[in-house]
Amino acid sequence: MHESRRSRITGVGATVALAVSLAACGSSSAGSASSSAPGKHPSGAATGAPVSGGAAQVQITLTSSGGCELDHASAPAGPVTFSVTNKDAPAITEIELQSDQRILGEKENLAPGLPPVKFTTTLSGGKYQLYCPGADRENVTFSVSGKAAAPAGGSTATLLAQGTKGYATFVNQNATDMVAAVGSLKAAIDKGDLAAAKKQYAGARPFYEKIESDVGGFVLPGFAPGDNAGNLDYLIDMRQSNLDPKVGWHGFHAVERDLWQRGKITGSTKKLAAELKTNVTKLAGLVTGITYRPEDLANGAASLLEEVQRNKIKGEEEKYSHLDLADFASNVEGAQQAFAFLKPGLQKIDPTLTSTVGRQFTNVNNSLTPYRDGHELGSFKPWTPKLRATDAAELSRTVQSLQDPLSRIAQKVATAG
Amino acid sequence: MTEHDSPDATASGLPRRRLFQGAAGGAALGALGVGSAWGLGAATGDTPVADKDGIDLTTQHPFYDEVHPAGVQTPPQRYCIFMTFDMTAGTTATDLQSLLARWSAASAQLMAARPVGQVRPTSDVGVGRDTGEALGLDAAGLTVTIGLGTGIFDHRFGLANRRPHLLNALPSLPSDNLDTASSDGDLSVQVCADDPQVCYHAVRNLARMARDVVQTRWTVMGFGRASAGKGQQTPRNLFGFKDGTRNISTPADFDRHVWARDAGWMTGGTYQVVRKIEMNIEIWDADRVSDQEHIFGRGKSEGQPLTGTAEHDTPRFAEKAKDGTAVIAPTSHIALAAHENNDGIKILRRSYNYTDGINRFGQLDAGLLFIAYLNDPGHFVRLQRKLGASDLMNEYIQHVGSGLFAVPPAPKRGHYVAEELFRH
Repeated sequence: MHESRRSRITGVGATVALAVSLAACGSSSAGSASSSAPGKHPSGAATGAPVSGGAAQVQITLTSSGGCELDHASAPAGPVTFSVTNKDAPAITEIELQSDQRILGEKENLAPGLPPVKFTTTLSGGKYQLYCPGADRENVTFSVSGKAAAPAGGSTATLLAQGTKGYATFVNQNATDMVAAVGSLKAAIDKGDLAAAKKQYAGARPFYEKIESDVGGFVLPGFAPGDNAGNLDYLIDMRQSNLDPKVGWHGFHAVERDLWQRGKITGSTKKLAAELKTNVTKLAGLVTGITYRPEDLANGAASLLEEVQRNKIKGEEEKYSHLDLADFASNVEGAQQAFAFLKPGLQKIDPTLTSTVGRQFTNVNNSLTPYRDGHELGSFKPWTPKLRATDAAELSRTVQSLQDPLSRIAQKVATAG
Repeated sequence: MTEHDSPDATASGLPRRRLFQGAAGGAALGALGVGSAWGLGAATGDTPVADKDGIDLTTQHPFYDEVHPAGVQTPPQRYCIFMTFDMTAGTTATDLQSLLARWSAASAQLMAARPVGQVRPTSDVGVGRDTGEALGLDAAGLTVTIGLGTGIFDHRFGLANRRPHLLNALPSLPSDNLDTASSDGDLSVQVCADDPQVCYHAVRNLARMARDVVQTRWTVMGFGRASAGKGQQTPRNLFGFKDGTRNISTPADFDRHVWARDAGWMTGGTYQVVRKIEMNIEIWDADRVSDQEHIFGRGKSEGQPLTGTAEHDTPRFAEKAKDGTAVIAPTSHIALAAHENNDGIKILRRSYNYTDGINRFGQLDAGLLFIAYLNDPGHFVRLQRKLGASDLMNEYIQHVGSGLFAVPPAPKRGHYVAEELFRH
């Protein structure tokens, strides 16, 4: 809910896209006299790493004495393959290759006894840092001489930037669809048709749940930031448990209460529905102004899963209609969309994490399969107290398996070069 | 343990018995002071010798390069958290291998009182690798003991032909009332330390670092060790009775009864049987003391067998009272469990008390986290068949959770727990 959600949008359309540097990785010229032709390795470079199979070969060894050592401190520009072996260092479990704090490549879960792992990255001339958290010397300098040819495809940053644009389209489309669905809900309520209204309510909810991490921070003009009367998320999605007595009850869940708990449509219900329509229309207008940074997608996906754990699993969200599993599935879908738009770029930074997160999304979706029921409102079984008592723990555990790897994405994409 | 063994006989030289020094020492010293005062009093019925075990929170146990896994022969610490895990659907043998390697490296770090990664990452959008609640705390004698359940050897990981032949799921046993929510699991982690926060930090971080490949299954938080280790006073369980008086302590008995003799990757390891045993505390508390002693076969204050006067007197099961009945009832707890009456079978008990608030009947939810180590799980089955069928104590307890795990030997530095398992 809005009061606990960590909104990442500080004001209407305030988020500015990350100024992505597409410049080559090196921060400065190495000034090496022995620079080679672009894209080519000088054979037999005296001080650089040996080239084999088109790539310079660098061995990184982690040792129990706190060592994180390179066998060659330099390489000619071009593809460089780093092979990492954790000989016997329990304290060092990850390494990153960085340039100006940007992650160019990394390996995690390095543990003594596991086979060596490799990553290859194309480097231009300049100074790089090998970052080994936990080592005696955490930063080791690595130099590259000469210039590498520009990469043929898009860089990681380009891919991520493309992803954020695609995601913005997804969010805008959802907001537009939500306005239409709330319009249908209002129409059914205006007609006084309780059964139709319940159906339309169930149909309108998923749109908000898919994008709620993106729309949580809007304050209407003229209102103080802490004033719920001007907080669109409060006015649209607040629940009884976070009722602000000064502002009163508004939005989806007030309508839900009327339809399910009171079981009737009154003049007050019609007023609530009209107000909801107005507010989601305002929201859809504001949403079109947002631009996203890659980490916004990652953080947003992570907070959607927090929503699942905090409200849906417990059945707090849809207290009267028991539609929580439909909301759950929508939160997951929204998170999965954000991940999908990051995936091409993330794949370049950390293919292992990318496949782990992908697999866990599949697991979470599979865990929802037994609850799907096309005959029920929202196409899911009602999340009744009885069903929660038997099934909540297992569903919660499955979500946990996704939450943790997902929480590591933001840092990766925020610092990717 | 033989009748000649005394818990104090070989106590000297144990680092954990060093008098605790340092800033956090006040409470421990205070407690020892009280204990000494009690010790000076006459040994009347209610003032037995107080537990004088000192705790040195700086104690560290090695993880690598031991013959046997930590946390088995290690004298029981004051606290323990036991947690089991299931491998997530779709995980592979490589995931399992990587998990065991990561857990091994992390366990070595934790046992040396070091965090498992940065608590405060350098990047503001990063998440910490270590959760931080043990920063500044000593190792407190922490041990991490990792076990593999029968599930590891099913069809999922291609390890079926590597299953130790003694690792068979426990059969259903008399009086079992097992709850699947507190039973089994693909992997077990026993974390013990003399500081509960150190325990919790360790198990939490091991669970956290593996959330992408495992799901937690069940856990029990134990306190107040309920079995004696070598050089320790015999502690008491929540029934108020001394527990573990005749526990295994000599190296010869460990070799004979605890360390696995299976060839291959299990050599030097052991088997872990875990039972969550609920105690009906309120009902027990209302029972007259003579009946309680009859049920145990021991006196409540001294812990002496009913045929003797001192705790370590050897019970004489054949001794009859004037009316012709056995002084120690044949269905008493000690008579049924005694090695004399079970073809010499002994198991290492490394149990803890637990409490989990109030149960659904409004009663104290508490009992014994029974952990046993033995070189053949069949030995436990044999003992429990007898106890579950006849033990007078059954009226006051029920087994509600159960698990069986193979505990591999300690890895060498540069290697990880169960590495040999993956070498075909």
